[in-house]
Amino acid sequence: MARIYQLPTHTRLWLTLAMLLCSLPQLFRGPLWQSGLLVLVVVIRMLVDRQRIGLPGRTARTALLLITVALTFYSFGRLYGPDAGVALLVSLFALKYLEVVKLRDAYVLMVLGYFVCATSLLFYQGILMFFYVLACITLLTACLVGINHSDTSARAPQHLRTAAVMLMQAVPLMVVLFILVPRVAPLWNMQIGSGQVKTGMSDTLSPGEVSSLSRSSEVAFRVAFEGDVPPMAQRYWRGLTLSTFDGRTWRQGLPAGMSAQDYLVGANQTPPHWFSVLKKAALQDALHYQYRVVMEPSHRRWLYAMAVPFVTDPDLRMARDFRLVADSQVDQRLGYQVTSVPSATGAMTLTPQERQLMLTLPASVGPRARSLAMQWRRDADSDSVVVQTALHYFHNEPFYYTLNPPRLEQDSIDDFLFRSRRGFCEHFASSFTFLMRAAGIPARVVAGYQGGQLNPVDGHLVVRQYDAHAWSEVWLDGRGWVRVDPTAAVAPQRIESGLQAALDAQGNTASNLGLDFSGFSGASWFGQIKIWMDYVDFRWQTWVLDYDTGRQLAFLSRIFVSVTPMKIALALLVCLGLPLLLILGWMLWRRERHPLSQEEKEFNRLFRLVERRGLTLAPGTTPRQLAEAISDRWPKAATQALHWRQRYERLMYSALPGDKKKQLYHLRRLRNRLYKLLY
Amino acid sequence: MPGPLKRLYRRWLARRLPPARQIVLSQKRVFIFPTGYGFLYLLVAALLFVGGINYENNLILSLSFLLASLFMVAILHTFMNFSGLGLRNGTSESGFSGGSGALQVILFADQRTHHSVRLSWPGQSAQQVHVIKGEECAVWLNLSLPHRGRIAAPRIRVESRYPLGLLCAWSYVTLDHYCLAWPRPVASDHCPADGGEHQHSVASSGQGGNEEFQGLREYTPGDSLRKVDWKGYARGRGLYTKVFAEPAGGRLWLRWSLVEGLPEEQRLSVLCYWTLALDKEQAPYGLELPGLTLAPDSGDVHRWRVLDALACYPEFD
Repeated sequence: MARIYQLPTHTRLWLTLAMLLCSLPQLFRGPLWQSGLLVLVVVIRMLVDRQRIGLPGRTARTALLLITVALTFYSFGRLYGPDAGVALLVSLFALKYLEVVKLRDAYVLMVLGYFVCATSLLFYQGILMFFYVLACITLLTACLVGINHSDTSARAPQHLRTAAVMLMQAVPLMVVLFILVPRVAPLWNMQIGSGQVKTGMSDTLSPGEVSSLSRSSEVAFRVAFEGDVPPMAQRYWRGLTLSTFDGRTWRQGLPAGMSAQDYLVGANQTPPHWFSVLKKAALQDALHYQYRVVMEPSHRRWLYAMAVPFVTDPDLRMARDFRLVADSQVDQRLGYQVTSVPSATGAMTLTPQERQLMLTLPASVGPRARSLAMQWRRDADSDSVVVQTALHYFHNEPFYYTLNPPRLEQDSIDDFLFRSRRGFCEHFASSFTFLMRAAGIPARVVAGYQGGQLNPVDGHLVVRQYDAHAWSEVWLDGRGWVRVDPTAAVAPQRIESGLQAALDAQGNTASNLGLDFSGFSGASWFGQIKIWMDYVDFRWQTWVLDYDTGRQLAFLSRIFVSVTPMKIALALLVCLGLPLLLILGWMLWRRERHPLSQEEKEFNRLFRLVERRGLTLAPGTTPRQLAEAISDRWPKAATQALHWRQRYERLMYSALPGDKKKQLYHLRRLRNRLYKLLY
Repeated sequence: MPGPLKRLYRRWLARRLPPARQIVLSQKRVFIFPTGYGFLYLLVAALLFVGGINYENNLILSLSFLLASLFMVAILHTFMNFSGLGLRNGTSESGFSGGSGALQVILFADQRTHHSVRLSWPGQSAQQVHVIKGEECAVWLNLSLPHRGRIAAPRIRVESRYPLGLLCAWSYVTLDHYCLAWPRPVASDHCPADGGEHQHSVASSGQGGNEEFQGLREYTPGDSLRKVDWKGYARGRGLYTKVFAEPAGGRLWLRWSLVEGLPEEQRLSVLCYWTLALDKEQAPYGLELPGLTLAPDSGDVHRWRVLDALACYPEFD
C-alpha cells in the first residue's frame, strides 16, 4: 500500500539538531571542510524547507558526494582506516540529511546517526561524552517519535518528552544488560589510537629528561588499593630499568645470551625457573599490596607497578627485572590488577652475564668519579658500606636539588659530581649508579614515578607526570636487588612529601619556576570540585570502562556463589522480564478499573453504610430501591431517604444548572443525617 | 498463501476475532511484531555489539544495550498506545449495486489517547487518525457494492506503529455492520403501479399538478424540501411544509405482483427505476412487496425507506 509521506514539519527541528549534535564531536577531530559541509547542508535544507529553493537534484547531490569523497582522500590519503572512515561516515550522514523527504530516508538517517554516535565513543570515552551521546540518542528517538506521529498539529516538545520518558525506562534495562551479558573475546583485533602525542616517560634517560616532565600536571596513572596503602616513601612505581650507559644516556639492555622469551613471563606460558622461585618466595611473605592501576594512554608498552609485581592478566608479562610489559602499546586507558610483594626481590639470582652487564661502564667517562669510587671500595669492607658512604657523600657535600640544573659539559658524570652539583633526580641516579658500578657493585637506574596524591573521596592514588622520578638499584649479595634513592639523601622532602615540598624546601616556589602543581591543592571549592571530578573519572574508568570478563566474574560471584551460564541466563530473564511483566500487569490492572464519579462514590458510601447496619442488598440495587429499603427498615428515616434519593437522581440524571460542588455538599449532608438515623 | 491454508487462516481469524457491534482492542485481540525498520534497528544494535566486543569498548557495548532496551520499552509503548482503542458501528451510506457505498466506523478512546492509528481494508488506501482520550472520531470507509442486498463490512485491519515505528501492533476487526446496496435501476416502459389514473407511462409532471394545496404545517425533518414553503421562509416566518390534498389521481401502489415475467433481481430493478421516477415527479407512491407494505408517501425519507426495502428483500428487519 503506497502511502505518500512527507516528513512532518514538527520534526524538522529535532532532525536538524540531532544531525548537528551527533556530528559535533567528530567535527573537532575531523578536517575543517567537514564543518563547512555541515553548515552548507543545513543552510540548503533550511532554504528548501522554507521553499526558497527546490531540493537539489540528483546530479547536484551526486556531485556533492563525489567532492566529499575526493576531499576525504585529499585529507587522509585513503578512504579506509578509522579516521578516514569516520570522516566519510559523518559526511554521508550530513548528505543524507540533505535529501530526507520520505519516511524511509528519515529511518536511514537515524541508523547513520547511531553509528556516528558510536564512533564518538570510539575516540572519547569520558563520562561526559557518554552522557552527551545519551542526549544525542534522546534526540534521535524524538525524531523517530515525530516521524511516526500522525497528528499534523503535534507540538515538537511533546516528542522530546516522549523520547525522554522512553529512554529513562530503557536505561535501567541497559544497566542490567551491561552487568549481566557475558563479554565475548574480540572476534578480530582492532585497536584505535587516539593519535594524540602526550607527555610521558621515554625509554631512555639523559640529564634534563625527567625535569622536563615535571612541568606537566597531567595524570600518568591512578591506583586503587585494596587493603593497605603503602606510605609515601615506599611508593616507587617502577617503569623501566636502564642498564647500559654511553656516558650521557642510560638505555635498556638485555644481558648477553638471554632471549627475550626467557626474560618475559606471560600468564599462559611455562614459567622459567627464576619465576617459580620468585613466586614461591612471594607466597611465603605476608606483606603484600593489592591494587588496581588505571593507566592513561602512554603509547608505550611498559606499565607501572611497585616491586615485585604479580599479575594474572593474560595480556601482561612480567620481566626478570620486576617490571610489567603489555603485549601491545597502551593507546587507550588500561586497567590492570597487581599484587606486589616488596620483599620477593631477595629471591632473584644474578647470572654472570647480568653481573657483567650491570658493571659495564664506558671507558673514557668519569675518571675522577672512578678514582673516588675505588677509594671508597678500598676503605670499606662490604658493598653496603660503600653504598652508605656514597649516600653520605651526596648528603654532606653541597649538592642541590633543582629543576633548573645548569648544562653539563662533555663529561656528564665528573662535571656534575665535582663542578655543578646542582641537579634533578636523574642526575643523582645516574651518577650514583656510575659510582656503584665503578666500585664493583652491580647497579642499574630505574625510571618511573614516586609518590602520588591520595584522593580524599575514596582514597585512590593519583600519580601525575610531575611525580616522575629516577633512582638506583644495587645488587648486594645475600639481599638481592636493593633500591637506593640518592635523591632522598639530598632532598628528603621529595620522597616524603613530593616535589612541591622539595622545591619549597630548596627555596623555590612553584610559581616562579613556572610550574603547574594543580593537583588537589587547597580546600577551596575549586579544589573540592577537582577532587570530585577526579573521583568520578576514576570510578568511571574502573567500574564502567574496565568492566571486562574478569571483573564481571568477580562481581557476579559476589552475588551468586558460583557463576554458571545457567544462572546468568536466569538472572537476565528475571531482571529483564520482571519489569516488563510489572509494567504490563499495571497497564492491564489500570484498564479494568473504571474511574468512579463523585456521585457514584457518594452512592457507594451510603450503600456500604446500609449494609454495615445489617441490611443485605442485592448488588444491582438502584437508588430508588435503596431509599425504599431504608424506609422499610427504618421508618423514621423515610423522609430523609426520599430527599436523598431525589437529590441524587437530580444530580445524576438531569442536566441541572448550578454548582455541582454545592449539590454534592447537600448530598453528603443528607447522608450524614441518615448516618445518625439508621439504628 | 495457497487456497486451503488461506481458508483455514480466515476461519481461525473469524473464530479468534468474532464480529461484534462494538469492539475494544484488548490484549487478546492485539498482535505485535517488529516492522522492517525494527529489524534493521536490531541489526544496528547487533553490529554495535560486535563493534564494542572487537574494540573492547564498553561504551559502544552500552550503546548497543541501550538500543536493545529501547526496543523492549518500545514493545510496551506500542502495545499501550494501541490497546484500549474501541471501534463501533456508525451509520452507513447506501448506494446502488455496482456503485459504492460507505460505512462509518467510530473510534473511541476511554483510557488514553491513541496516536497514529491506521485503518485499512482490502481495496482501500489506509486512513490515519488519532483518537484523543474521551473523544470519538469517525472514519468513513468506502465499500464497493457488487450486488444488491446487505453488504457486510469487510475485515478491517487496524494498526499502529507509534511511537518509534520499530514495532507494528495490529488487529483485525470485523464489525457487525453492513451497507445496503439498492437494486440497480432498470428502465421499463410499463409502470408497475395501480390505484392511480395512469397505469401506463407517466404523464405530465407539473408542480404537484394533480394535487390540491390545502395549507401549511410546521416542517418536520424528513419532509421533502420541494414542499417547503420557501417563500414564507424567506419572509422570516420559519420553515413550513405545504400540505396537499389527496392527489386527484389517487394513490399509486408499486406492486411486486405487477412486475411479471422477470427474474427476481430484474423485478426489483424495475421497481427501483419507477421509485426514482415517481420520486422525481413528487407523486406519492406506496410499495407492496411480499412480506412488506409501505404506505404511499413522498419525500426523501420515503424514497430511502422504499429503496432500503428493495435492497433488503426478501428479509426485512
